[in-house]
Amino acid sequence: MKKVKEIFRMGLWEDNPVFGQILGICSALAVTNLMLNSLIMGLGLIFVTALSSFTISLIRSFTPKHIRMMVQVLIISAYVIIVDIFLKAYYPDMSKALGPYVGLIITNCIIMGRAEAFAQKNTPFISLIDGVASGLGYTMVLLMISFVRELLGFGTLFGYTIFSENFTPWTIMVMPPAAFFLLAMIIWGANIFLNKKEKRKEVSKA
Amino acid sequence: MKKSFAYPIIFMSLITAIYTFLLAFLDHSTAEQIEFLASADLQKKILYVFDIPVKSQDPEKIDKQFKEKITIKEIDGEKVYLLGENEDVKAFAYPVRGAGLWGSIEAYIGISADYSKLVGIEFISHSETPGLGGRIDEDWYKNQFRGIELKKSKNEYIVYSPSPNANVDAITGATLTSQSVRDIVNVNIGKILEEKKVD
Repeated sequence: MKKVKEIFRMGLWEDNPVFGQILGICSALAVTNLMLNSLIMGLGLIFVTALSSFTISLIRSFTPKHIRMMVQVLIISAYVIIVDIFLKAYYPDMSKALGPYVGLIITNCIIMGRAEAFAQKNTPFISLIDGVASGLGYTMVLLMISFVRELLGFGTLFGYTIFSENFTPWTIMVMPPAAFFLLAMIIWGANIFLNKKEKRKEVSKA
Repeated sequence: MKKSFAYPIIFMSLITAIYTFLLAFLDHSTAEQIEFLASADLQKKILYVFDIPVKSQDPEKIDKQFKEKITIKEIDGEKVYLLGENEDVKAFAYPVRGAGLWGSIEAYIGISADYSKLVGIEFISHSETPGLGGRIDEDWYKNQFRGIELKKSKNEYIVYSPSPNANVDAITGATLTSQSVRDIVNVNIGKILEEKKVD
C-alpha cells in the first residue's frame, strides 16, 4: 500500500512524465486545444500504458533479453490499435477529432519508458499501478494546458459556454504556439517548486 | 534455454500470433458497426448536398431520414442519389472526382431535376492543406454553390470574384485548391448536361 502511494506521488508529481521527464511532449502540444480531446487522449494513454506495463511485466521472465524491445513494441502497438478500433466504433466524433494522434500513441515515449524502466523489473500488479500513475500524470498536465487554451481560445470548458458572447476569443490560444508557451510555463513553475523542496531537504540533512 | 537460437523466434511468433488473433477478432466484431457509421456519414453528406438539415446526429436517425427521402440509382456504374422517387424526383447528386492540389478530390454535386440549378456540393475526401485548401470543407464556402443557375451553352458555371458575373468567392491563401474545385465542378457539370442532351 505504501508502495502504491509512492508510485502515485512519483508519477503525478516528482517524476511526472511531462514536466519531470519531458516525455510525450509532441502529443501534449497537439491535442490540447479542447479539454474533451485531452481527456480522451489521456484515458487512451492510461489504458495503453497500464495494460502494456502489466503484460510486459507478466512475461518478463520468459522474454529473451535481446529481443525484449521488439516484444514491447508489439504489445504496445496491439493495445493502441484496440483503442483506435474502440474509438472508431463507438466514439466516431472523437476518432475524427483526434485523427492520427490515436495511432501515434505508440510513439509516446512515456509507454516505452515505463516498460523499460519499471515493468521490466517489477511484478505485474505494481507495474499496472505504475502505468496508471504515469498516464494520470500525463493526463493531468494535458488537462491543465487545455483548460487555459479552451477557456481563453473558445470561452468554453468541455464545450459548455463559460464566458458570455461579448467575450473576444484569444485566437492565439487555439493555435499551436499557445501550447508551447503554456507547457513551458508549467515546466518552469513545477521545477521551481521541485527545486525548492530538494534544497530544503538538503538543508535539513546538513 | 534462453540462449538457444530457436527460442526467441518461437517466443516472438507465439506473441505475434496471440495478439494478431486478438486484434483480428476485435476488428471482425466491430466491422459492422464501423461500416454502419461510415455509411451514416455518407448519408449525412448526401443530405447536405440537397440542403436538407439533419434532424439529429444519431446515426440511426440519419439512416431513417435518408431512407425516407432519398433513392439510389445506378447510372453507368456510378451511384447517383435522387431526392424523391420515380416521377417525383426533385434533384440528383452526382459523384465527381478530379485532381486537387495534393491529391484527388472526391465530391458530390447536387443538380436540380430540370438541370437548371446547382443545389449544393459536398466533399467526400481530399488531401488539401489543413487550414488553407482544407477550408473547402467549411460551410461558408460550400453554401455559396447553392442555387447557382446553370446557363445554357456555356462551360463556365462557376466564376470566382472579382471577375464580372462572379458567383463564388475563392478561399484566400488557397488559390490553387479553389481553382481545382472550380475546374472539377465546371468540367463535370458540362459532362452531365451533355449526356442529358440539355442545350
